[in-house]
Amino acid sequence: MVIVKRKILSLWERLYLPEVLRGLSITFRKMFEPRVTRQYPEEGLPTDGVTRGQPRLVVKDDGNIACVSCGLCEAACPAYAITIDGQETDRFIEREPERFDIDMLRCILCGFCEEACPKDAIYMSNELELADYTREALAYDMEKLKRPASAMRERMDYVKKINDRW
Amino acid sequence: MSQSEAKDSGARDTAMVTITINGREVEADPSKPLIAACHAEGEEVPHYCYHPGLSPVGSCRICQVGVQQGQMPPRVMAACRTPVAEGMVVDTEAPKAHDARRECLEFLLKNHPLDCPICDKAGECTLQDYSFDEGQGEGRSVEPRRKLDKRKSLGDVIVLDQERCILCSRCVRFFEEVPETPQLCIGERGSHSVVETFMNRPLTGNYQGNLADICPVGALTLKEFRFQARVWNLHKVASTCAGCSRGCAVTTEVLRKHEVKRFRPRHEPAVNGYWMCDTGRFALEAPNREHRLCGGILRGGSGQAQPVDTRTALEVARDMLIVHGEALIVASPFLTVEEGRELLALGKTLGARPVFLSPEPNDLTDDLLHTGDPCPNRRGLSELGFDALPVEEVLETLPSYESALLVGERLIDMLGAKNLATLPTALRVVLLECHYVDSPSIDVAVGIPNHVEREGTWVNVDGHAGRIAIARPTPEGVWMATRTIDTLHELLTMSAPGADAPGSATPGAIPSTPGAEATLG
Ligand code: SF4
Ligand code: SF4
Ligand code: SF4
Ligand code: FES
Repeated sequence: MVIVKRKILSLWERLYLPEVLRGLSITFRKMFEPRVTRQYPEEGLPTDGVTRGQPRLVVKDDGNIACVSCGLCEAACPAYAITIDGQETDRFIEREPERFDIDMLRCILCGFCEEACPKDAIYMSNELELADYTREALAYDMEKLKRPASAMRERMDYVKKINDRW
Repeated sequence: MSQSEAKDSGARDTAMVTITINGREVEADPSKPLIAACHAEGEEVPHYCYHPGLSPVGSCRICQVGVQQGQMPPRVMAACRTPVAEGMVVDTEAPKAHDARRECLEFLLKNHPLDCPICDKAGECTLQDYSFDEGQGEGRSVEPRRKLDKRKSLGDVIVLDQERCILCSRCVRFFEEVPETPQLCIGERGSHSVVETFMNRPLTGNYQGNLADICPVGALTLKEFRFQARVWNLHKVASTCAGCSRGCAVTTEVLRKHEVKRFRPRHEPAVNGYWMCDTGRFALEAPNREHRLCGGILRGGSGQAQPVDTRTALEVARDMLIVHGEALIVASPFLTVEEGRELLALGKTLGARPVFLSPEPNDLTDDLLHTGDPCPNRRGLSELGFDALPVEEVLETLPSYESALLVGERLIDMLGAKNLATLPTALRVVLLECHYVDSPSIDVAVGIPNHVEREGTWVNVDGHAGRIAIARPTPEGVWMATRTIDTLHELLTMSAPGADAPGSATPGAIPSTPGAEATLG
C-alpha cells in the first residue's frame, strides 16, 4: 500500500484564482495557434508512398488484372492470409487468378506479398481502415481487392525507388 | 532429384567394376552410364536429356563431370554418355566441370522465356533448380529471344510451349522407346529447331500424360492441370493407382486437403517402371465427386431418408441382418485386403456367401501397363476367398436372398443406380458406400472413405502388393472402412436376435445384450 501525504499548499496556491488565470492564458494562447489534432474520421489521415496500408491488387490500364496467380505472395505470406486459384486466359499472358482471397483479419500488413510479387501486381495501398460487422465481410475476395493502377501509383513509384537502390 | 530413381541397379549378375567417385571407391554397374553410378552414390549431377527410363543421347551437356582414366590427364565428360570403366576416377565437383555446366546453362537460358510466374513446371523445374545452383544472375546476350508458338495443342492431353523447350528430346525418345509408337520429332535445324508431331497430327495413345512428367521444363504441360495449382501447394502421398489391376505405383497430389489434382507415376521397377497410363492419371472424377455420404442414412418404413450417425446406422443394420437371415455379401473390387479380411470374418458370423463384383474387362488393355481389368484388388480378394461374380449375375442372384450387404466404393456405379433402385422390395439391403442412392430396398446406408482417404493393400495382377495411402482427411462423420466393418461384426457377435424385432427397427429399439451368442444362419 502506498500512502500519499497531503501536500501543504502555500498561500499563493491557496488563493486559487492566480492558477486558474495561468491555465486560461494557455487556453487562449493555443486558440490562435495552428491546430495539431484532426477531426478523425471525418478528416482522414494524410498518406504518401511510404504508407504501408492494406494489400490491394493492381488492375492495369487495359482493364486486366496484373496478377498471374503465380502463388508467390501466397507462399511468402507469414500469416497464411492469401488463397489463390488460377485459370487459363486467352490473352497473351496465359494465366490469371480465378479466386484471390485475402483474409484481412489474418493479414498483418507486413508487405511480404508486395515484395514477393514478380509482376508488380500487389501493393500495400494507402487504405488503412478496416471495420465491419462480421468476420466474413473482412475476408476480401478479388473484386473487393482490385484497384486501378492510378490509385496505387504513388506507392508503386516509391517501391520502385527503394528497389532501384539495390 | 532422381538419384533415388536411378537406384534400381543392385541385383544384377553383370560383373561390377570399381570406380572412384569424389574420393570414394564404389562398385558400379557397367551396363549403365556413369551418371547412374553417381546418382546411386547420392551425388548430384544435373541432367536434362538423360532419363533413367530412356536411352541416353548426350545432347544437353549439362551433366559434365571431371573424369580421369588411366594415364590420361583429367578431362570433362558428359556423364550420361560415358560408360563406367574399371579404375575411373570421377570428380563431380571439378571446377572445370562447373564452368562447362555454367556455360551450357547460359546457352539453354539464352532463348528461354522468363515465364516462371505462369509456368506450371515452376517449383519442380530442373532448369530453375540448376539456374539457382550455378546459373548466372544476369544474361549477357543482347539479341532478342526467339519467338515461337506458346500454346500449341498436341492433341487432347498435352500443350506444347515451344519457347520453353530446351530440345532435350526426352519426349521424342519416350514415344520411340516406351509405347514404341514414334509420334514426335525435332523439326527444323539449328536455332530454328522445334519439337513437332509428324505432319502436325495430334498425339494418340494412352501414355501421352507421361510427357508432362519427363519434360524437364514446362514445355509440355497437361491440359487437364494447366494453370490450376502451384505444385508446392500440393500435398503428395505415395499410393497405388485405382485404374486397373496393374496397380501402378503413383503419387496422389491433393490441393488444400480437398481436391485431388494429380496422379503421377512413382518409380516401381516391379510394376510400372517410371510410367503410368492416361486412364489412371486422369481418373480424378471419382475421388473428387461431390455429395458424399457422411455418417449413416436410415430409410424406414415411411420411405423417408433420415440421416443418423454411423454407430446408430450400424446398430440398425445389425438388427436388420439378424432378422432377415440369408444374406449375400457383395464386396467392391476396390476393397483392400485388410477390409476384405474383416468382411470375410463378418460373413462367417452371418453365414453369408462373400462375393466381389467383377465388372466386364474394358478395351483399354495394351502390352505396356493397362490390363483392361477395372478391379484394382481382384487378385487380393480372390486369394482371400471371395468369388468373382459378374455384374449381371449379382443382379440376377440378389433377389433370391433375403438380405444383402453391399460394401465398397463405386458399387453404385458398377451395379447401376437404376438397378439398385428397382431391386425387389422383399430384399433388404445394407449399403456401405461413398455415395447414397435412394432405393426402397436400401434400409441402411453408411458412408465409407474412398481410395484416396483410406490405407491398405491392393494386390496387383502379378501378385505385387501395393499400398494405398491416406492423402486427405475423410469427410466429417465418416469412419475408416475397416472400423465400420469391424464394428458391425462386433455388434452382430454381441447381440442375440430379438424375438419380435421389426425389420425397420428404430435406432436403439433392440438393446444389445453383450455376451449372448448370436445364432444365425
Ligand atoms: S505474387 Fe503477384 S502475380 Fe503472383 S499471385 Fe501474388 S499478386 Fe499475383
Ligand atoms: S520451364 Fe522452368 S525455367 Fe522455364 S519458365 Fe517454366 S519454371 Fe521457369
Ligand atoms: S518438349 Fe520438353 S521433353 Fe521435349 S525436347 Fe523440349 S524440353 Fe525436352
Ligand atoms: S544429361 Fe548428359 S548430356 Fe544431357
